[in-house]
Amino acid sequence: MAMPTSRESFQGGVFHASIPGGRSGATLSIARGELIADTIGEPSMRFSIPLNQCQIDLGGASGRMVFCRTKDGSLTIFCEERNFAKELDFQSGGALAAPLKQLKKGLAADANRFRFWLAISALACALLLFVGYFGVLWTAKTAIRALPVSVDEKIGSMAFSGMEMGRKLDANHPASRLVQEIVDKLKPHAAIPDLKFKVTVVEDADINAFALPGGQIVVFTGLIKEAKSAEQIAGVLAHEMSHATLRHGIERVSQSLGIVAAIQIMVGDVGGLVALGAQVAQTSILTSYSRASETEADLEGARMLNAAKIDPKAMADFFEMLKEKMGDLPDAMAWISTHPQHETRVQNIQNHEKKLPVIQYEPLLLDLKAAQDAL
Amino acid sequence: MRHQMLCQPAATALRFELEQGESITCEVGAMIAMTTGLTVETTSKSRGGSGGIIKGLKRMFSGESFFLNHFTAQRPDQSLLIGPTLLGDCVHHSMRGGTMIVQGSSWLASTPGIEIDTAWQGFSSALFSGKSTFWVKCSGGGELYLSSYGAIHSIEVDGDYTIDTGHIVAFEDTLEFNIGKASRSLIGSFLGGEGLVCKFHGQGKLYYQSHTLPSLGALLGPKLKAK
Repeated sequence: MAMPTSRESFQGGVFHASIPGGRSGATLSIARGELIADTIGEPSMRFSIPLNQCQIDLGGASGRMVFCRTKDGSLTIFCEERNFAKELDFQSGGALAAPLKQLKKGLAADANRFRFWLAISALACALLLFVGYFGVLWTAKTAIRALPVSVDEKIGSMAFSGMEMGRKLDANHPASRLVQEIVDKLKPHAAIPDLKFKVTVVEDADINAFALPGGQIVVFTGLIKEAKSAEQIAGVLAHEMSHATLRHGIERVSQSLGIVAAIQIMVGDVGGLVALGAQVAQTSILTSYSRASETEADLEGARMLNAAKIDPKAMADFFEMLKEKMGDLPDAMAWISTHPQHETRVQNIQNHEKKLPVIQYEPLLLDLKAAQDAL
Repeated sequence: MRHQMLCQPAATALRFELEQGESITCEVGAMIAMTTGLTVETTSKSRGGSGGIIKGLKRMFSGESFFLNHFTAQRPDQSLLIGPTLLGDCVHHSMRGGTMIVQGSSWLASTPGIEIDTAWQGFSSALFSGKSTFWVKCSGGGELYLSSYGAIHSIEVDGDYTIDTGHIVAFEDTLEFNIGKASRSLIGSFLGGEGLVCKFHGQGKLYYQSHTLPSLGALLGPKLKAK
């Protein structure tokens, strides 16, 4: 007699000694309080377990397979389908509620454990990425500081050749000669002795001067015109030369270093760094040395001036003068716009000067007037 | 279709006798020799099955190849000789529904009724069992042929059974599989040379191999001269 079956049937399997090989896949159904398994293939065999005699167990490779065993364990029907447990619960009219609830609990605990480990793994991955990212950047920065000065020179000359600026004055021009003489006087006292300083005077009304990595220094004619003494120009030059000897340019490059460039440096590809450096130097060096770097350059500049027997007060004077001019020429103040507050600056230089060796300062015997007139 | 195992277990080869229209799917590169009435079709999906590229890629994760070779007899009385890459044993497992979870690279051949897929076995199995994270999942009905380095033995597990990690060839999905210590203390487990073991629980068939390739590699590796 054919038994009425539940609306749903499931794909599962059955273990029984009478099956060749002891196991077979089966189509499962639940009807009249019995779990029925019809084995697949020919000849099909039918096995059944009354639901009230089912011993429910969970297991299998996935951990989600439901096993129904007879009390003596001779017959086992199993299924991995999702709705099987639900249907079993429904059809048994609550007889299997307790063991099924236990199973559900176990599954929920598994899911929670899985979520927990997933969260932990995600966190660990994020931490690893974070540490890796900053670790690579930090290592690259350290490596950059250890690079020879020749890299600075390369970056500087590349940036210089790519820059757009006004007409460059001839080296024999009185203004060029004046600036060159001051640099020659300061050069022996630079922190990096063999750095090749190159000065270029450029026609531009801005009161501006800047240093590129490696010792390229550019002075605008506007600055020479406004200077009240050669010492003031010496002050500005000492400050700019200090940027080069303190390697602020390459520090800037290292700060703007992306992760790709950082990895490039770590695998020994300095070429990429030079290109990046030249780019950075062109776009931002003029305007964005950090305030700490500026202060550092002020103090180092004062030391150089003192060592060259030039009164560092001239540097402070120049800032004072700029401060006074500030109101009249806001646009022309390129050189000071990003620089620290003048007052603190002047104060700092004056304080620092007191710590420097007391020597007799000598006036610069240079004809500033002639240079200014020639402009 | 009939099959015959030759030279078991050291250098096993499998010989199939195929009637007209019968076909078998084999691992790429498994064919040793064949009669001329067989056609070979290379695809990335099981014969008549779904999948394609994704399944092929998944298979690659488990250590099998992207492509599968399907041999079909166009004339009566054809024979095909196949063998595994490594020296070792082959076994035949008859499937009547259900799923067999096979170690990556141990699947050698199967008849068209068996679907070959890849299963993710979790992190712990990858980390501790010395096996791949991905296993080959063979499901359906038909004949399945497995191979492995060393001889293959089988056991009908009913309850609990322990196997050293790295020796598992295949097991039925009705078996639960956990990684555990061989003896009670972790130090004892390692001093005993067993380290971590796989503990099976449940009812089902389990195939295991007598030898493992990594242990041969560990023995030979130090003796090899660097190039």
